[in-house]
Amino acid sequence: MAQVSLHGIHKRYGAVNAVSALSLDIRDREFFVLLGPTGAGKSTTLRCIAGLEQPEEGEIRIAGERINEWSAAQRDVALVFQQYSLYPNYTVRENLAFPLKSKLRNFSAQQIEERVAKAASTVRITHLLDRRTDRLSGGEMQRVSIGRAIVREPRVFLMDEPLSNLDAKLRELLRAELKGLQQRLGTTLIFVTHDQVEAMTMGDRIAVVDKGRLIQVGTPYEIYNTPRNTFVASFVGAPAINLFDVTLDPTAGTAKDGAIGFALDAAARAHIGTLPLPADRRVRIGVRPEDVALVGEGGIEGSLYGAEHHGVEIIAIIQAGSHMLRATIPADSKVTINQPVRFAFRQDKLHYFDPLTGESLRQPTPPT
Amino acid sequence: MADIEIIDAEKRFGANHVIRKLNLHIRSGEFVVLLGPSGCGKTTTLRALAGLESIDSGEIRIGGRRVDQLPPQQRDTAFVFQLYSLYPHLSSFDNIAFPLRAAHLPEAQVKAQVQAVAKVLRIEHLLSKRPSALAGGDMQRVTIGRALVRRPEAMLMDEPIGALDAKLREEMRAELRRLHVENESTTVYVTHDQVEAMSMADKIGIMNDGVLQQYDSPTHVYDEPANLFVAQFVGSPIMNVVDCVCATSATGPTWQLEGMAAPRPIGPRAAARLRNQPVDALALGIRPEAIQVTREAAPGSVAAQVHLIEPMGAYDIVDMKVGTTPGAGATLRARTASQFVRRQGEAVWLTLDDARTHFFDTRSGLALRAA
Repeated sequence: MAQVSLHGIHKRYGAVNAVSALSLDIRDREFFVLLGPTGAGKSTTLRCIAGLEQPEEGEIRIAGERINEWSAAQRDVALVFQQYSLYPNYTVRENLAFPLKSKLRNFSAQQIEERVAKAASTVRITHLLDRRTDRLSGGEMQRVSIGRAIVREPRVFLMDEPLSNLDAKLRELLRAELKGLQQRLGTTLIFVTHDQVEAMTMGDRIAVVDKGRLIQVGTPYEIYNTPRNTFVASFVGAPAINLFDVTLDPTAGTAKDGAIGFALDAAARAHIGTLPLPADRRVRIGVRPEDVALVGEGGIEGSLYGAEHHGVEIIAIIQAGSHMLRATIPADSKVTINQPVRFAFRQDKLHYFDPLTGESLRQPTPPT
Repeated sequence: MADIEIIDAEKRFGANHVIRKLNLHIRSGEFVVLLGPSGCGKTTTLRALAGLESIDSGEIRIGGRRVDQLPPQQRDTAFVFQLYSLYPHLSSFDNIAFPLRAAHLPEAQVKAQVQAVAKVLRIEHLLSKRPSALAGGDMQRVTIGRALVRRPEAMLMDEPIGALDAKLREEMRAELRRLHVENESTTVYVTHDQVEAMSMADKIGIMNDGVLQQYDSPTHVYDEPANLFVAQFVGSPIMNVVDCVCATSATGPTWQLEGMAAPRPIGPRAAARLRNQPVDALALGIRPEAIQVTREAAPGSVAAQVHLIEPMGAYDIVDMKVGTTPGAGATLRARTASQFVRRQGEAVWLTLDDARTHFFDTRSGLALRAA
């Protein structure tokens, strides 16, 4: 059992608050992702859990026990970095065996051999065991790094952008492999990344962090479908969510700003009736590209500024006055640049934010 | 603006054969992307066009004029690098004006041309600022402005937005494409990012190991990849490629994947691809969106179990194992509506779109085409 809990963590570097009042409860056997841009404090948080950094305030617990004062070795966690930190002059076998040869562990040669063989087969590098690590490709090296982490059978895996140095195709393959591996081993895994696709596809839950602060925790579906603020909304999802400000008229049931004006349907009117609207009725609307459709008649008028053919679909870039919006449309759509278009929103998928604070106007959903 | 022709170009760095017998015809006004992994020869090709590298043999023609023996400044191309190469002590205006002043154009004309380019790039408000005061995307806009202002015969770009963050890249993609629509400058653009290639190019030239693999429109490259390399380099998630046993039966050709209880007849479109071909050592290729996942059996569908669910937000990517034996069978990934399947091990049925089923000769890697 290895729940990891952080309570009120603060970590400063000089005048910079790298992590501020961070509290998280990571469940046993969970694949937990810390997602955020550069400088969000996610690596610092991971290093605090590993024992490589000491927070000034707050408590870190693994399986219920306070570990702030424990050394990195005592914590029984395994770290995997972006750079493969392998011993270049040694074989894969020697690299895997290395963490087991510590005098503290007292493993017999046979035990070491068995564990190495098992770990190698788990990450599918059995055929590489006798090869020197400097003769391996990037993907193979990262598999060895992960193998060296699992050979110890630690209580928790900590991974800091382990896939970032790999090319796109390999990243995609290793993503699925790593998630499958974690499910088979059932070991708690905390994974740091700035890549929202990695977070969405691998995480059981995601914590979005920015400037040292926790913004939102939830399942990938919760983060994508009910973002707490415009930061989360635009950080997650590609192409990015469309954001624009409108003035709502709840009586007439309309939303308007410049070239964008549309009537709210009954359900949308009922929904905004439940929201705490600002006094001037200005709200920031968020709508994802897959919830914008080109329509034959009605809708809002615009013109086609660009069309990106992605094979699986087309991303239409629509100009409506000073607004620029993206819509995901079917791959076989016939569209020409500069043609007039009409578009409409799936109104049950509209997000409403406070334009000043960026916070969602929806009541916050209780954390899962 | 001009046509660019590369004829039988070869280039070696020592023992390293970086460009092999390259032939490429880029038409005037086209936006061509050279796409491939690092070391495939795409950047060397671009540098050879600019005159920054020589070629060992073959010809390069720009606007019908042979240029491969000419120095860079006589080729009339403009080069944009990944890193902004602006003069730090000059304003954006002076940076953009630099090549015009170097050519001793009258100041009134310099001003007019800089203003015109700045308008297209939407950087008019930044003209008095120095590079250090600009954000990354704006710096790259200024760099592009400086390349564009001379109205060169060809624009050559080497991963110009590779250093920007994901969101800015998304915006710059649209801006660069828009710029091309308005300017129609012949453009050769190098990247390793298939999304950039797909979203901006009129034509994509895919390279690997110094060899041009396919030269075609994005849609064609995506829908009719010439070989396994192209099939798996373009598109995300990657096209499924699985070993497939094809046979001929009394009722016509059949296919069978690992995990399938019995062979199935091949649809007419896929069968056309297999006609007159040897039917051993084949791989079946199908894009994730061409597999329909259902909870009930449909005519011609294949039983499978859910192995892994990857939520993408707008949709899910679901890995499945063909057959009913847990954990066994060929793996296929499909694209489904968000939360269509809920848990590992769930039993589902897969229908492969006949028209979008590809076959590859696993020995040569080549796609089988309908006769």
